[in-house]
Amino acid sequence: MTTSTEAPTRSAAARAVDARKTYGTGEAAVHALAGVTVDFPEHEFTAIMGPSGSGKSTLMQCVAGLDRLTSGSAYIGDTDISKLNKTQLTLLRRDRLGFIFQQYNLIPSLTAKENILLPLTLAGTKANDAWFDEIMRTVGLQDRLGNLPSQLSGGQQQRVAVARALVPKPDIIFADEPTGALDSRTGIEILTFMRRAVDDTGQTIVMVTHDPHAASYANRVLFLADGQIVDSMDDPTADRVLDRMKQFEG
Amino acid sequence: MIKLVLSSVRHNLARYLATLVAISAGVGFFVAVSVISDGIISSLDGNVDAQYGTVDVAVVPDDTTTVASTGAEPEPLKLPQSSVDHLLALPGVDGGAGILTAPVAFQAEDGKPFATSATGRLWITDKELNPLTVTEGKAPTSSGQIAVDQGTADDQHLKVGESLTLLTLAGKQKVTLVGITDFGDSDALDTGGTVSISEPDAFTWLNNGQQEYASFYLRGNDPSTLVAEAGQVIPDGFNVQTGNEFRQDQRDANGSFAQGLKKALQAFAVLALLVGGFVIYNTFSVIVAQRLRELAVLAAIGATPRQLKRSLRLEGVVLGIVGSVLGVITGYLLTLALEGVLKATGNTLPGGLSVSTSTIVSGLLLGTIITVLSVMIPARRAGRTEPIEAMREAATESASLGRTRGIVCVVLGVLGLVAMLAGSSLAVIGLGVVAFVASVFVGAPYLARGGARAARPLLERFGIEGRLAVDNSVRSPKRTATTANALLIGVFLVTLVAVAGASIRDFAIQQVNDLQSADYVVVSTGGTIDPAFVAKLRDVKDVNEVVAFRREPVTIDSKASIASAGDVAQMAKIASIKAENGSLADLTTGTIAVLDTGEGKVPAVGSTVTVKDSRGKDVQLRVVAVLAPTQDTGQTGSIIDEHTFDSLVGDVAPTVAFVDIASGAQGSTKDAIQNLADLRPDITAQEGNAVGKLIRSVFDFLIKAVTGLLLMSVVIALIGIINTMSLSILERRRELGLLRIIGMTDKRVRRMVTLESVLISLLGTLGGMLTGLVVSLLLVLSFNRLSQATITPSIPWVELIVILVLGVLLGVLAALLPARRSTRMEVLDAIAAS
Repeated sequence: MTTSTEAPTRSAAARAVDARKTYGTGEAAVHALAGVTVDFPEHEFTAIMGPSGSGKSTLMQCVAGLDRLTSGSAYIGDTDISKLNKTQLTLLRRDRLGFIFQQYNLIPSLTAKENILLPLTLAGTKANDAWFDEIMRTVGLQDRLGNLPSQLSGGQQQRVAVARALVPKPDIIFADEPTGALDSRTGIEILTFMRRAVDDTGQTIVMVTHDPHAASYANRVLFLADGQIVDSMDDPTADRVLDRMKQFEG
Repeated sequence: MIKLVLSSVRHNLARYLATLVAISAGVGFFVAVSVISDGIISSLDGNVDAQYGTVDVAVVPDDTTTVASTGAEPEPLKLPQSSVDHLLALPGVDGGAGILTAPVAFQAEDGKPFATSATGRLWITDKELNPLTVTEGKAPTSSGQIAVDQGTADDQHLKVGESLTLLTLAGKQKVTLVGITDFGDSDALDTGGTVSISEPDAFTWLNNGQQEYASFYLRGNDPSTLVAEAGQVIPDGFNVQTGNEFRQDQRDANGSFAQGLKKALQAFAVLALLVGGFVIYNTFSVIVAQRLRELAVLAAIGATPRQLKRSLRLEGVVLGIVGSVLGVITGYLLTLALEGVLKATGNTLPGGLSVSTSTIVSGLLLGTIITVLSVMIPARRAGRTEPIEAMREAATESASLGRTRGIVCVVLGVLGLVAMLAGSSLAVIGLGVVAFVASVFVGAPYLARGGARAARPLLERFGIEGRLAVDNSVRSPKRTATTANALLIGVFLVTLVAVAGASIRDFAIQQVNDLQSADYVVVSTGGTIDPAFVAKLRDVKDVNEVVAFRREPVTIDSKASIASAGDVAQMAKIASIKAENGSLADLTTGTIAVLDTGEGKVPAVGSTVTVKDSRGKDVQLRVVAVLAPTQDTGQTGSIIDEHTFDSLVGDVAPTVAFVDIASGAQGSTKDAIQNLADLRPDITAQEGNAVGKLIRSVFDFLIKAVTGLLLMSVVIALIGIINTMSLSILERRRELGLLRIIGMTDKRVRRMVTLESVLISLLGTLGGMLTGLVVSLLLVLSFNRLSQATITPSIPWVELIVILVLGVLLGVLAALLPARRSTRMEVLDAIAAS
């Protein structure tokens, strides 16, 4: 079910079909993605794992419209993003996608609130007040909204980033090592928010991580190695993921 | 360490290119200005030493007292042969040389004149006193022989041995070219060419046969004794000077104007350096700020702060030297380009182009020193930064501004304003200007921050990108300020020159316009305005009246002056000749209407004055009127009746004429009158209001020339903005990438960069313009206060608006490259793990 060549089903928020990404040519060619076909179902939290260089970040970036595939296609809903031009891609990201990164992901001159509302500001729309308040309550930032990022701790900054991804109710949120720069307690907080967003509001999340504990918050884990999906695991626990990862190293 | 520096240069090639551009632009600007001003200065200084180096004693006419502001230059007194004989007979005189010049021209076989502005000179037989040397052929010694300067010979293709027709005051002469002369390093002694004429012909051709000299130079062993003795034998209206005094006078004569311009040009070169310095400093501080992380890593692995500083300093030296060498070359190319442009428009750079060693050395030194200093200031900051702090986040300049800065800014500003408002001398006022401008520079970060914040509501209309543009310029107000300062100083000076220059120009023109005048003044130098020529003038269409009159250099109560005689009623009808006291109608034999020259005491009506001509004849005359100083009375000087003139000077022909033309026909008559004058080498025709026109054109030229040079500084500022924006974009590539990831389109990213650039250039333009307005208005006020003049400040609004619009355009232009770059970077850079 995770690997499929069937026609798109409604339940996939994003898909990749025979996705290939090659750097260089001839003998020097490196296949970051060597033919990946995958669905990311709606209302689910999917984790992508794999050792360094397995292609997990490349997969996420290509599906999220940040990078282009060498061949194959990637879909957000029913939209084939390989057919979009640069501006269309930007607008698609603005209107339908959310992003959370490891670090450096806030604009330093904007307050927390302005950062959270930035995607909506760019789109020229307003936030739904009730929804905004609810998210603020969830992430616990009510009294920090007027602060600049430099006045916030790392964990608080990442919570702002999570809120920014959640507020516009995107079709899908892509997270790249969201807890990579945080201490474990703060990491757990962030992962909890993400989990709750999926459970409570039906948000779809795709997260790239190399941390088995982070992966355990997902509904399902995909394992990548050498540019291909080699395994998947439903309802993962940290221990099971760790065991599976050890096999790659062995 | 050198290895480290080289690898750093390799890895940061784009940034170093930006720095090199900055350094070579700054140094190039300095070198170009230096080369051009050196040329202008040397052409103004003239070759006083080459021309008069061997003169021990000089006998020269006193400056004729005349209306100073009119620019009229009537013929001065001449020294008669009898006086010269006395001079040469003095004990201790080793040799002498009389100077006699008059306009000459050549006539080609087809009747057309050429070399029409050449000067005929009596050939000086005393080899030591003669500034000319014969380079080909021989000296003109007997009648019918002439020599010409190398330049004229080359231009007109004249060969030694050739027979030519020379137009002189005494008519056409058949002459033979026997020699080619050289004057020091240059070809000609006179700008229009020098024609040397042998002694037997000179007095006839150049001075109506009178054995007289314009001035006389002596050689002798004991100049001071000679001066005293010579003083005994020379007539009134002449002055004896030692060689040194004389040479100094000549230098001074070449310019109070030249001195002022020289200082202005030198100040301008320093300014050029300052602007270049800003650009270099700014670029470097941005680069070092970006590299704090790299430096921190080095510090973390054990490099001491001293080693870090040394490495940066070495980098500065290498870059400084390379950039300065490129800059010297750039500067020279720039002057070549300027010369080309001028040539294309039919002009030449005065003095030509010569790059002196001192220009090259100072260009190299200054470029290198400024670069090293520019590196050391941010390097000190880098040395102080804790490694761990620097590694954590791409540390950039702090947004906080120290308290000292505020205090210094306010103190300088107040001192400057007070000095400009109340200063009692030009020096104090000048220092006030410097203090005020310095205060603006020191306070520029506040202005940048305040200005950017003030602009926020306006820029926010452009959406979030406008807001971010403001935020970014406020984030580092010091950097924004140094970038804007480079532009500020240029715009400040352009405004200063435009406003102060225009005010003074308009004042001067108005002064001249107050003096109504004849439409043309036709003057014969050495010849006469004979009835035939008057008739020709009258035949010109639209000429209403021609009044010729006689004019003679005289002394009045021993003061050199001029006196004229003619049909006073006719003269007063077409020219501005009025009595401020007494009446012209009372002018009869034995009386005089003296000119009020505006300086010295004017003889009262009813008093008696002694009038003496150059041959020593004198006459006592009763003053019946005092003439008001106008442009026309500047031409006539004092007026005496025809009979008095006859008895004093003799029955000579008129040499000057006033011409009245139908109103509005100034343009159409100009060529016809000029053509008539061209056929007679002795005659020049001057438009009556020429002085006003001259003043306007001189001022306009100066304002344009200086503005042109200043615009170069604006171009340098443009490079500064491009550099800062490009570097700032590199620095913020993560932030920009993030904005694009979460949905800012490329168009809006580019607009954000452009808005920031426009904001910086507007800050610089407005700041410079306001500073320029304040300073120039205060300058005009202080000038009025000091000189009792009443200059009304004229603000050239149109030009100011043009400057403002140019400022905005400059910002847009400067953003083109950085904006393109901002969207060319990969969005993935934003999330790449450092």
